[in-house]
Amino acid sequence: MLHNKTIDVIWLLLMAITLLSAYIAESAEPSFFVTLTICIIITLKGRMICDRFMELETANQKIRKLMNIYFYVLPIMIMLVFLFPEQLANMTRL
Amino acid sequence: MPDEAIVISSSTPLDYSTRGLPVPNRIPGNIPIWVGIFSEMSEFAFMFIAYFLAKVHYPEIFNEGPLRLNTLAGTLNTLVLLSSSYFVAKAMVAIRKNQPDICIRWLWLAIAAAGLYLITKHWEYQWNTDQGIGIKTNVFFGVYYYMTFNHLLHVAWGGAAILWALLRVKSGIYTAEKHEGLEAVATYWHMIDLVWIIIFPLLYVLR
Repeated sequence: MLHNKTIDVIWLLLMAITLLSAYIAESAEPSFFVTLTICIIITLKGRMICDRFMELETANQKIRKLMNIYFYVLPIMIMLVFLFPEQLANMTRL
Repeated sequence: MPDEAIVISSSTPLDYSTRGLPVPNRIPGNIPIWVGIFSEMSEFAFMFIAYFLAKVHYPEIFNEGPLRLNTLAGTLNTLVLLSSSYFVAKAMVAIRKNQPDICIRWLWLAIAAAGLYLITKHWEYQWNTDQGIGIKTNVFFGVYYYMTFNHLLHVAWGGAAILWALLRVKSGIYTAEKHEGLEAVATYWHMIDLVWIIIFPLLYVLR
């Protein structure tokens, strides 16, 4: 698919995923699966914007990897905070 | 040494044979804008770490905080920012196709989206005040105001940068062959959108 058409599809996908996030925010209680879903959404959205809107898919791969890492590390941190809040609090208490 | 040489976008002829994208292994925009982007991403990463630390130490406050926020405003601003990124990406397609008038139209749409974001954020802050929420309400709202106001400033000057690029397209400085500055502004704008992609779930969704 041509880049011009791809970004049309990506835009619609991003809008749909955002509405799903809003639905979760309004309706779902905190749980492992809700948190995991949100993390996957962050990674998907980040990757789509980096690769398609920023055009990093075919660009310098060092820049692409650094940008992509951001959208893997932060969701992992979100999961760690959800799974081990007390341990992390103990580790960071002054 | 990498297999392929690093290519700066404006210094080489563009090859649109592959799905309409420029030549591979290039640096979109220019190196200075990427120094800026990585600096800004690092700055926000420190804010996210501060959020995580505060959350593990004050779990009750961070569980209750998102429920008191205006989810509609947060969702609207997410949709608006994603759309603005899309408009900017379309503007890049247009300039490469040597369609400056169409490029300018997409850039005006992006600027309008930035304006709409600022108006929505103003409404949200006003709504918070009406609910008795302020920066000193508790640690969650302290983090919320610090993070969102910082991001708001980026949207404001990012929008001004798009306006500057638009005027340069209008005056014929950016063309199909040479548009490094426009691409740098576009890349920076996408970074502002990317940061919001994380702020939105942290503050409005996750509990």
